[in-house]
Amino acid sequence: MNHLAAIFERHALLVVAVAWAFAAAMIVAVVIERITVAAHEAWLRCLTTHYTPLLRLALAGDPGARATLRRSHRWHRLTIARMILMPLIKDRDPARIAEARALVDALSLVPFAERLLGSPWWWRRAMALRALGAMQSANHTRAIVAALDDSNEDVRNTALDALADLQDPASLPAIVVRLHDTSLHRARRGAVLAAFGAKCEPFLLDLAVVDPEHRLNYALALGICGTAEARSILCEWSRDIRAEVRAAAMQALSRVGVDPWSVPFAVAALEDRHAIVRAMAATALQGYADRDTAASLARHLDDKWAVAVRAARSLRSMEAAGRAELEARATRDDLPALLARQMLWNEKAAR
Amino acid sequence: VSVTTTLAVFTVLVTTYFLAYNLSQIAMAGVAGRLLWRYQRRRSPRNLALVGRLAAPPFVSIVVPAHNEALTIVDSIRALLSLEYEAREIVVVNDGSEDDTLAILKEAFELVEAPVAFEQPLKSAPVRGAYRSLVEPAVVVIDKVNGGSKADAANAGINAASGRLVLLIDADTMLEPDALSRAAMPFLESQDTVAVGGYVAIANGCRIEDSRVTDVGMPRSWLARFQIVEYMRSFLLFRLACASPNGVALISGAFGLFQRAALIDVGGYDGTAIGEDMDLTLRLQAYYRERKRPIRIAHVPLPVCWTQAPEDRSSLRAQRCRWRRGLLQVLWRHRRMIGNPRYGIIGMGVLPYIAIFEGLGPLIELLGYVVTTVAFSLGMLDWQHYRVMLAASILFGAATTLVSVFLSDVSTRKYTRLRDLGLIVASAILENAGYRQLNSWWGCVGTVQAMVGKIGWGPMTRKAF
Repeated sequence: MNHLAAIFERHALLVVAVAWAFAAAMIVAVVIERITVAAHEAWLRCLTTHYTPLLRLALAGDPGARATLRRSHRWHRLTIARMILMPLIKDRDPARIAEARALVDALSLVPFAERLLGSPWWWRRAMALRALGAMQSANHTRAIVAALDDSNEDVRNTALDALADLQDPASLPAIVVRLHDTSLHRARRGAVLAAFGAKCEPFLLDLAVVDPEHRLNYALALGICGTAEARSILCEWSRDIRAEVRAAAMQALSRVGVDPWSVPFAVAALEDRHAIVRAMAATALQGYADRDTAASLARHLDDKWAVAVRAARSLRSMEAAGRAELEARATRDDLPALLARQMLWNEKAAR
Repeated sequence: VSVTTTLAVFTVLVTTYFLAYNLSQIAMAGVAGRLLWRYQRRRSPRNLALVGRLAAPPFVSIVVPAHNEALTIVDSIRALLSLEYEAREIVVVNDGSEDDTLAILKEAFELVEAPVAFEQPLKSAPVRGAYRSLVEPAVVVIDKVNGGSKADAANAGINAASGRLVLLIDADTMLEPDALSRAAMPFLESQDTVAVGGYVAIANGCRIEDSRVTDVGMPRSWLARFQIVEYMRSFLLFRLACASPNGVALISGAFGLFQRAALIDVGGYDGTAIGEDMDLTLRLQAYYRERKRPIRIAHVPLPVCWTQAPEDRSSLRAQRCRWRRGLLQVLWRHRRMIGNPRYGIIGMGVLPYIAIFEGLGPLIELLGYVVTTVAFSLGMLDWQHYRVMLAASILFGAATTLVSVFLSDVSTRKYTRLRDLGLIVASAILENAGYRQLNSWWGCVGTVQAMVGKIGWGPMTRKAF
């Protein structure tokens, strides 16, 4: 042990030297990082100040401003592209996008984005995809669709975002086919369907017929973009042997809305042995102001909490028929009665 | 001879421990740096805009337990109402406040007693009443009997929450405007995400307007400055390094976004736990891993919220002793997980590390100081050796903290003034000459308190912003 201690003692100075070097290196790193960042920020500020008025004029169609921008230094181009495209994330006005696209074309920035698409660095490919999507460059739909098969997960998901921004119907088959691709974020798959809306529905309905295995995904998708066209297939799925499919079908029906033909399916689903199906069926019946339906729903105020809450919300949406059931239930002294009183209070407060 | 041998053994053990700790910190810096770099590359305004593009973004219930928070509660809620996330409700739990918290809330938000129905799957002290706001429909106030702990109030809030996700914060936590959008991202990216924690930054020295940090600066108090670099080290090295292999063991009580169903599954907060936030995180990890269900607990490496750090020594001492008692209690409660491969990286990596370096750390560190000082004063250790050990300890400590300062500056650049940066660097160095030793001492005091069974939070002086 004494021998070990002696070894430690011999190397102690080396340890201190390493610690010194490490600490000093970190201070130098912080200082260099600060200087670099400060210089970069000053450079960006300078470019922004210089190009903002020019861009405003160029977007308004001023040929002089466009010519000046075209003559800009190629090192400034990336910053100019950012200044044109960043506002498009929030402002999706088609006219504004068209102006930005025309300007980007005029400044020959598209070939730059195309070069970035082939970059070995994933973040550059992602940046190019975001840019092409933001300016709705329909000429690049194939390239963006191809990026759905990129080796990098972030690039694949960015491609999905870009397709949502692009909204080119030509990309719909590729999007719908990837509905089951779990390497793509579920929320992004949902967002792209929401972006296209009802345009996705025919593809979903066609595929759903030949691909019953993925019925759950189709039902969830119809819950995002379905219309009245999907009602009959959703009602059919309310008898599927899988509880999650039945629940998703009812959830989708709540988006589509029920009609006198589909109400019996939802009422039948209220008696399902799985609470999640009953809960979604209760949601599906919202807004259908019918006394018998309201009575069916009111029975479920004593059901499991998830079902009771949804039944109460649907009753609240049923105007007089629902109100009568809630008032009848509100007089008791238990949790469902309190729920009924809350719905009546909410209704009163909303008025 | 026996004293000399004992001293040699001790020197070898302490030096090995010290080297292992510093090497692990350097390794963590590498992992954290890589993760932060990737996070920065992925962070784009378009990514954050995803929440707004969803047909139905996840509804979030923000639970705010409030006990005697009359000074700050209204501003806090107004700040929450202005968050850049529309699908949310705010559930304020007045935990039997003895001050005017409820009266102030009633006046500020025109609260009226209203029927609010909710199941109570989690245990909490009795609810006295529920209030809704006539001017802010998103605000619900639950008035309950004081349950003696934040955990009890949080459980009442989780019961009343109607969102799929529940954000648990302290009443004095100030959120960044995009905190919810950022914290919700991991839930959108993976269905396995059960909880998300974030980097909690210190607001002392910052300019606060309407419960929002509008200008970041360094405080006058050195104690607060030391805590700033300490938080950087904790959130940007250790927690980020743990998050990389899905081994988060602690989501701070100041900011945690959870799946409500998961909270119900594990029985919510445990009111008897002193470190209730770490206890909850570990119970989540245990629950899912025991059932072989996928679990992901993510960590947002950018400041999502700001909190007030104690500036006086007695408050800080009370806080650190409590943290210490909490840590030891949690390690004892979850001892079956330590070294158990059933719990994956948590059992085999994170908890053993915490037990060795955080559990035993203060004791070994203090023992090291005491023994080397005694040995030196008795002439059994030469001045050169003593000096070298002390210098190495201070320099390595400073270097690892400076790594986190570097990472913080690269990723967030919150402290923009050169003077503030200078103070941060100075704090990173100076904290090793006094503050860390003081912390170790308080850690030992906390250990003794834990052994004699002391409970409770101790005093904490609260200031209005």
